Amino acid sequence: MNASSFETPASVEDLQEQLRGVGYIADRGLGTASLIALRLSRPLLLEGEVGVGKTELAKCLAQLTGRQLIRLQCYEGIDTHQALYEWDYARQMLHVRALSEHELADAQTVGGLYSEEFLLERPLLQALRAGSNAVLLIDEIDRADDEFEAFLLELLSDFQITIPEVGTVQAEDRPIVILTSNRTRELHDALKRRCLYHWIGYPTASEETNIVSLRAPEVTEVLVKKVVASVHRLRDMDLAKPPGVAETLDWVESLGAIGADDLTNETAIDTLGAVIKDRDDLDLVASDITRVVPGG
Amino acid sequence: MIWTSSHPTSPESSPAADVMTSQAVDQNIVDRLVEFGAALREAGLPVGTDDVLTFCASVAELSPSDSEDVYWCGRATLVNRRDHIPIYDEVFRRFFLHVPEGAERKHTKERKAPQGSTGTINVPDAEPGDRESEEPPMVLGLQASSLEIQRKKRFSVCSDAELASVRRMIASIRLEPPRRQTRRYTPDASGAQLDIRRLARSAMSLKESSPKLLRMDRKQKARPLVLLLDISGSMADHSRNLLQFAYSMRRAAQKVEVFCFGTSLTRITPLLDRRNPDAAMRLASERVLDWDGGTRIGDSIDTFVKDWGRRGLSRGATVIICSDGLDRGSPATLAEAIEKLERLSHRIVWMNPLYDSSVGAPPTLAMSVVGPHIDEIASGKDLESLEAFAAMLPNIG
Repeated sequence: MNASSFETPASVEDLQEQLRGVGYIADRGLGTASLIALRLSRPLLLEGEVGVGKTELAKCLAQLTGRQLIRLQCYEGIDTHQALYEWDYARQMLHVRALSEHELADAQTVGGLYSEEFLLERPLLQALRAGSNAVLLIDEIDRADDEFEAFLLELLSDFQITIPEVGTVQAEDRPIVILTSNRTRELHDALKRRCLYHWIGYPTASEETNIVSLRAPEVTEVLVKKVVASVHRLRDMDLAKPPGVAETLDWVESLGAIGADDLTNETAIDTLGAVIKDRDDLDLVASDITRVVPGG
Repeated sequence: MIWTSSHPTSPESSPAADVMTSQAVDQNIVDRLVEFGAALREAGLPVGTDDVLTFCASVAELSPSDSEDVYWCGRATLVNRRDHIPIYDEVFRRFFLHVPEGAERKHTKERKAPQGSTGTINVPDAEPGDRESEEPPMVLGLQASSLEIQRKKRFSVCSDAELASVRRMIASIRLEPPRRQTRRYTPDASGAQLDIRRLARSAMSLKESSPKLLRMDRKQKARPLVLLLDISGSMADHSRNLLQFAYSMRRAAQKVEVFCFGTSLTRITPLLDRRNPDAAMRLASERVLDWDGGTRIGDSIDTFVKDWGRRGLSRGATVIICSDGLDRGSPATLAEAIEKLERLSHRIVWMNPLYDSSVGAPPTLAMSVVGPHIDEIASGKDLESLEAFAAMLPNIG
């Protein structure tokens, strides 16, 4: 599929329906926020608990629109070289060497050292160049340093960047931009102001049942409902790391992997590692397993 | 449609919004939307004209069929913090659904209480006044005494004026957080590795026939610092000075987070970002509700671990806990919390004003519980020990 064959849906319901087609269930709020982001070409900042489908939305939007997904994973100390572009230093050196050996070094060939040929594109530049053919996912922006956020401001407001040796690169059409944050720190207001904002909470039990059934169609609905109910009970407990939707899916798949077709106290204990990822939490849940999986 | 109910045209409606959306949306609707933005602003949300513009544009794009669409358009365009969602909900309900004010107001009121009700907060005086009767100030002559005497004088026996000057001196202590290695390299004459890139470049230059060996080493970066200050009753003599110390630290280093605790934990980092230290202190003391109360060290550290540590705030950081270890909470909670904190942070330093380097820490239950988990112990009871601490800090590891 190519980008031009995708038409922005007319209504929120249409978009929700289309997203469901690629395996993503968005509630009304997320659907509206996404549609506005598509229509107005504004970046969308998603915050929420771990494992509620922030990153997944970008992937599904890319699939839905037939665009290329360009992902920039942020981490502490990330700088423009990893995010934007870098000169291919080794090749430049070899080129210089070759030029000087053949005594070809004149203004023009030297100028050629800073041409496209030696430019290594990193995700942000890639996304600008790809324009409407790309979905740019800037993942876990809260992990990057504040300076990097300030640098993103220019990009997100004008969709252009300046490379001193080459000039200004501007996106012809804006890519779809999704930013995600796990709220390990508060983002700067200046960055937030350039984005649309949506908080993704945990889904309701029936929504989550739909999500799991859509993603793991081979599992019986009875089992899905039972697992979802247990996960909801887990979220009500005072856990350090409450399970997200991703964990619910992992749990259902783990049960399938060991050939269990029912969630009992025993199978729950065996597969608890799929849903609880913290030792203290494991102890707490294991000691109270009958509360999590009643009647089993 | 609900939001088109005839409303007097607002003279303040944004002209920019008119231009942007006039083709798609009726003028009355634009006015109503702009008014909604103003109502949100009145309720305390930072809604700018450009936000209202985006809001109108999004409503124009979606041509909503019911108020729920308008609700979600506004949620996406006018709100950018999770904490603001309840306020937005309340204003929306009042504005579009005509739910009378106060019907659902409860939680917003609670939210605002800590900031607004300064009258009921027990804020200590800048200089603790009532202590004078118990501990007579030192002879006046000493106030003009040499720096040296003040440096060794315990904060608890300083007079008010002396404390004020002590605080000025704390501000001048040079602070340097411990450093860590990063992934990147930087040229360094005595570095551990050869810098092949630079070496190749210098070898290629035609002038130099025999290049020197060029070296490089890992770049260093300051570790984040996290300060947990005990501001309970037993620490009253020290808490103001520690707060001043935290303020200086916040100004000296890049990544510093400051929390206060007594019976509960309060983050005061943003309040310390003021030019004027007195204004910063005042703001901080207004925010913290449990000045001079009891101490629940274990619960406070546990809250820190759950709300901040787990999310990564203290990862790789040097955590400095300033407390005398006179705990009224349960030792079991403390043991568990400090163990978790140890796993989530790089080093833990305990600053205890009762600590004396010749005698050691006082044998309180809390200190013996945390003993195995902390890396360093320091005093901080007087200026000299604060200076000693500042000198020790870069070498903690």
